[in-house]
Parts: sequence; C-alpha cells; structure tokens
Amino acid sequence: MSARSTQIALSSRFSAVIFVIGKLLRFAFFFFFLVIVISKTNTIAGYSFWQVIFFFATFNLIDTAAQLFMREVYRFRSYVVSGEFDYFLSKPLSPLFRTLLGGSDILDLPMLFLSIAFVVVAVVQMEAVSFVGVLLYLVLIVNAFLIGLSFHIMVVALGVLTTEIDNALWMYRDLTQMGRLPIDIYRQPLQGILTFAIPVGIMMTFPSKALMGLLSIQSVVIALLIGIILFYGSFKFWQHAIKHYSSASS
Amino acid sequence: MNKYFSVARLTWDETFVYRLNFVMWRVRAVLQILTLYFLWLALIPTGASLFGYDQSSMLTYILGTSLISSIVLSSRSYAVGDEINSGNLSNFLLRPINYFLYWFARDVGDKAMNIIFSIIELTVLFVILKPPLFIQTESFYLLLTFVAIVFALIMYFFFNFLLGLIGFWSPEVWAPRFIFIILLNFFAGGLFPLDILPKFIFSVFQSLPFTYLLYFPIKIYLGQLTIIEIFTGIMISLVWTLVLYIIVQYVWRKGLLVYTAQGR
Amino acid sequence: MVISVSHLSKYYQVHKKEPGLVGSIKSLVARQYEKVKAVDDISFSITEGELVGFIGPNGAGKTTTLKCLSGLLYPSGGEISVLRFTPWERKYEFLTQIAFVMGQRNQLWWDLPALETFLLNKEIYEIPTKRFNEALSELSTFLKVDSLLKTPVRKLSLGERMKMELIANLIHSPKVLFLDEPTLGLDVVMQQNLRDFIREYNKRHHATIILTSHYMKDVESLCKRVVIINLGKIIFDGLLDTLVKQHAPYKLIRVILKRNVEENILRTLGRDIKFQYPELIFNVPNEKISETVAKLLQQLPIEDITIQDPAIEDIIREVFNSEQ
Repeated sequence: MSARSTQIALSSRFSAVIFVIGKLLRFAFFFFFLVIVISKTNTIAGYSFWQVIFFFATFNLIDTAAQLFMREVYRFRSYVVSGEFDYFLSKPLSPLFRTLLGGSDILDLPMLFLSIAFVVVAVVQMEAVSFVGVLLYLVLIVNAFLIGLSFHIMVVALGVLTTEIDNALWMYRDLTQMGRLPIDIYRQPLQGILTFAIPVGIMMTFPSKALMGLLSIQSVVIALLIGIILFYGSFKFWQHAIKHYSSASS
Repeated sequence: MNKYFSVARLTWDETFVYRLNFVMWRVRAVLQILTLYFLWLALIPTGASLFGYDQSSMLTYILGTSLISSIVLSSRSYAVGDEINSGNLSNFLLRPINYFLYWFARDVGDKAMNIIFSIIELTVLFVILKPPLFIQTESFYLLLTFVAIVFALIMYFFFNFLLGLIGFWSPEVWAPRFIFIILLNFFAGGLFPLDILPKFIFSVFQSLPFTYLLYFPIKIYLGQLTIIEIFTGIMISLVWTLVLYIIVQYVWRKGLLVYTAQGR
Repeated sequence: MVISVSHLSKYYQVHKKEPGLVGSIKSLVARQYEKVKAVDDISFSITEGELVGFIGPNGAGKTTTLKCLSGLLYPSGGEISVLRFTPWERKYEFLTQIAFVMGQRNQLWWDLPALETFLLNKEIYEIPTKRFNEALSELSTFLKVDSLLKTPVRKLSLGERMKMELIANLIHSPKVLFLDEPTLGLDVVMQQNLRDFIREYNKRHHATIILTSHYMKDVESLCKRVVIINLGKIIFDGLLDTLVKQHAPYKLIRVILKRNVEENILRTLGRDIKFQYPELIFNVPNEKISETVAKLLQQLPIEDITIQDPAIEDIIREVFNSEQ
C-alpha cells in the first residue's frame, strides 16, 4: 500500500520535492532562530543551548514519524466524499488501519533522518545523561506516538461523522506545534491545559525531560496512563462513528 | 468603481457562508501568536532587555506583527492559479472588468473580515494576558506606519498574484506557494524581529522586499527608527512595488499569450 | 453588417513529441513545432438579427472562430469586425454588448444566491436599474426560476444552475450572442426549452446569434442560415433550404409492407433501398417521385406509404464527402 502511494507521490515529483525542501527550510529557519537567540542569552527558560535543541529535535522526530505513518489521513475526506470509504468498510482489512496507515510517504524520510541525527548530536553534547533516562525517553517516545495516533483516530472519527476533517487536522498541527519548545515557557493555566487537557506537553516535552532526569516517576506513570486512556477512548469513539455511519448511509 | 466595491462586498459575504472555516483559521492564527508570545516572555523577563528590546517593545512587536499580518497577508489571490488552470479566466477576458483590480477587490473584502477578527482577538488576549504594550502616540509615526502598510499590502498582492500566474505554465500551483509562505514567514520578520540578526545578514535583508511587509511597519510604529531610516525604507518599498508591478505586467502578458494560444 | 470576417486565419504551434525515451530527451533539447491550421482563410458576414448555425465535426474550427469573434483569441491573419469593433482589442464598449455562452464555464459565485452574481454583473456592465429589473424579470420568468433567485447556487439542481448561468450571461441584453454547443449534455426536455428560449430571444431582442452545434435538431429548428466548416475552411454558407435543394435533390419514400416480398423484386423498383421487414426506404430523385410512388402502389402490398425529406445529417455528411 505504501509502495503504491509513494509511487503516486513520485509521479508528481516536482511538487513532492518542493514540499520536502519546504519542510527542511522550516526546520532550518527555526533552528537558525534558536541559535541566534541562545548566542545572546545562553539559556531559554533555564535550559542550555543543546537542551533546547534536543527539545526541538525530539519534537521534529515525533511529528515527522507521525506524519510519515499517518499521511493517509489527509486524503481521508476525499475518500468519504467520493464514497471510496465504503469500500474500506467492506474489505477484510480494518478500515481504521487502512485510513491511518495506508499511505506512507517516502519523502518524509529525509526529515526523519535529520531529526534523529540532531537528537543524537544533542544527546552527545548534553551532560549527565543516564541509561535510565534514555530508556524512559524511548518509552515516552512510543507513548507520544500512541497519543498522536489517538488524536488522528479522533480526527478521523470526526471526519466520518461530519466530513469536516481539515479544520480538525490543522488544529492538531497547530496545537502540537506549540510543543516545539519545552512547555515550561507557557504560563499557567495554559501550561496545565497543554499538559493534561490536550496532552501536547506529554507528547513532546515529557520524553526529553525524562532523558534529562527532570521527570518524576509519578509523571511518567501519569503520562503512560493518559496515553493508554486516550488511545482506548479514541478507539471507542471511532467504533461509535462507524456504527453511526453504517446505519445512516444509503 | 462600483463593480470592485461589489466584488469586495461579495467576498465579505462569502466568508460568512464559510463561517466555521474562517473561525478555525483565526483560532489557528491565535495559537501561532501564543507560542511566540510566551517564548519571548520567557526570554525577556520584566526589566530585562535583549537585542535592544525590552519586554514591552518585544511583546508589542509580536502582537503588532500579528495585527499587521491580518492586514497585509490575508489574501485570496492565490486562487488565480486555479482559475487559470480551470479555464475560468476566459470568463473575465470576456467581460469589461480588470482582472487585477478584481482580485485586489477580493483581497480587500477578505482583509476587512480578517482585520475585524484580529482586533477582537487581540483585545481578548490583551484582557487575559495583560501584556505591557507600547502605545505610539506621535501621529507622525502612526501616519508613516500606515503608509508603510499600504505599500506592504500592494507588494504582497503582487507576490501572490505572481504565484498564481504560474498557473499559465504549470498545474502545480500549491507547491511553490507552500515554499513561499515558509520563506515569507522567516524573511518578513514574523518569527522574530529582523534586527536581532548579525549586522551583515541584516543589511542583506534590508534590500529584500519581504522585510517591508511586516518588520518595517511595526518598527516605525515602535518609534525605533530614525527619520532617515524611515525615509530610506519607504523609498525601498516604493522601488520594490514598482519592480513587482512591472514583473507582474510582463508575466501576465506572456502568460496570456500562452493561454490564448492553447485556445482554452 | 454587424459581423464581418475577412480572410481570418488562426494557426497554433503545437509541439510534436516522439514517443519513447529518446523522444522525451529530444523534446527537452530541441522542440519540434508543427503548425496546425485551426482556421484557414475564412470570410463571411452576418447582419443584425440573424440566427446563424456553424456546423462541422470536432476540431473543424467552429469554436476557434467564435473565440476570435469574441476577442478571446488573437487571429494569426485576416480582419474581424464585430459591431464595428476589433474584438481582440477587448474594448469595454465592445465587451458590454456581447455574450459568449460556453458549456463548462461558470461565473456564478458558488456559495451565494444567483441574484448576487446578477447584481455584480449589473455593476460590471453598468446596467441602469430599470433595464436590469426588466431583463431579470423577463429572463427568470421565462426560464421559470424566479422563485430560486435567492437560493445559494450550490443548492440548485444542475438544470436550474444552467438556467442561472444563462441569465448571468444575458442580463446585460447583449446585441451579439455566441453560443458554443449550448445543448451539449442536456436532457431532451432541457434541449427543447433552450431552443425555444434562443428563438424567443432572437425574435424579441433582434439579437444577432451565432451558434455552434453538432445536434441537427438545434440547427434545423433554429437556423435559417448555416455555415459548414471543415478542417478550418468554409465549405458551405447559405440558407438551409438551399443546402437541402443543392445537395439533396431527393426524397425518402418510406413504405410499410403488408407481407414480405422477395429482394430481387424490390431491386427492380429502385436503386437505393434499405429493407428491414416490414419497413422499406427508397432514395428517390425529386423528378422521379410521382412515377416511383405509382409503381410501388401497383406492385407492392403496401400498408402505409410516406414521403420524407432526407435527414440533415445525411445531407451534411454528403457535403463533407463531396469535399474530400
């Protein structure tokens, strides 16, 4: 499935390449901005240069990985409108699986590799990194991916119910963008909202903090719990949406 | 002139039909400001100063560019590309209406709605966040800010229109636009005030047109430019506006030849 | 002369690409261009109030001609004058008096009521309010959409939308109307309605109308005069009646038999015969009609007999064939 969609992307190679260049530029510009700022201030919200870079690189890693696997969501609306979605429902492959993971884009790989590279470089440059920290980091990255997946599932379920998906998707992107930097910079109550109500903080900031040894065990547990609950809830929501759709469509 | 006013009014009406989309669009704009606002708040605590900005002037910069953005950067003209590709352009060639002015009028309609919302949002944010804002009182600076914004408006219109004209030669209209937005955000000073850049880089920026879309007007407002700097800036804006105008006319004519040759 | 065209030519440069990889590389380096003569030295003129049909196969040059007449295309050679203007100069005074209706184009604002588009056109064409209201009322009542004027366009059915498009195109009471395949894609009822409308419009407003079509019914029911174009050249320009007389000096005699008859007997009665029991169709030259009818009545067991004009399609096909 992903091979086929990669093919299609490659056939419109010009615009595909342009999009990749655009994303790399966006990354480069923000990185450049961080460099300029830190060169004067030496710290942002108490974090050192490489720590901030680490936060940013981790964000990119999670964001790109999510996009890489869940590209198909962006085509979802056209499937519902055209009726092709009905085919998904009748095929043996789980329609949720097809909707989310059917369209990996090989062009997201450069970004992914770049993010991983920066993550590694930043970790090497930072001091006091423990084995436990790295372990927690990886666990929370997976958790972040789970949360991202849950968001996408909810968005798709919403799309099934209302066909209004684009706005929800953009909201998701904008909210997660706020995790480019450690959410410590946000004042309360915004910080609280971003951590618990809309778990951007758990997704983007917690993994990095865990690596730096700044996260309490309770927080890790809470993070995992929220991830699981969110996933379960989104899945239920999806099932509800499908039931509603199947009984309503003619 | 009535016809263009009608076009603006109809565009305004259209945004009402797409209420939900429009509101979502504004929500997104607010979220984007919030990130930058809090970042700078963290970087410049009360009483501190960084790159020559104290807290109030930096926060005014961030919120100010947001407002100016809704005036300068809201636009519908990107749709020119689709119109050319679909052949709908022919409808306009057959009627006594100027295509440039038509799209400019559409932009104005769009901007009107965006400005109103932006003012409402900023007012709400002001009440909630209570940022220390710098209020310009010299009418001289306010007037010049306005002049700079007008030039910025026109320049951006030409940019967008040019991007749309790509439609004469290629069905790929969206990819170039994507890159353009990313470049613009950086080069126009939407992310950070451009004068925090190293001197050499900044001087290059000053000869580019993008700087005059957001950075320049807000700097005039903040009263941080000398008369000479303001005057030079406005001259450069004027030159770029004319250059863009000439380029747009040229590309339009060339494109029209291609369009009519293909007999669409 | 409202419209006069003199030695009009329109050539396109089309680049040729050879198939395969070698061809692709070649086309990148040195493009080969081929000149396509869409319209090749045609001349004609049309007086005020005429309703003329342009007929021809696809790619004959009909649409290109209309586009040259309306100013959309710049001619490669020759001269055009419409309402004493040169179309490609696209002067505003010219554009306010013409209308070009082509199938897939839409000028209606999708999310707003059609009335808003009409009001916008009122401003664009600078139509005085009184004339606008009269035109609107006349058009919307005739097309039976007057109750739908305030409904958003996206909520209308396809047929209703087409009617609104038509109103938008005519609200400024153009003196010259170019219709490019107006009935294409419509159902039979709509086609008839549209034809009636065009006929009425021509009569009432004395508007000059050129219509292209490859539906014979359109041409038959609307046009007294036809211009036949093929491969960019005019091969006939005159009254439809003349066309019929010149190229079809024959009629069809249609016979319904009571019982079957052997083929060789039938062959003695006439040359061009189509036989599918119980129907028999003879092509008979006009001079020989009475004598053939008499012979048939004598020799065949006839249930019913009628004399018909030949189909216009066939006539026109013959005109093309005779050109080849």
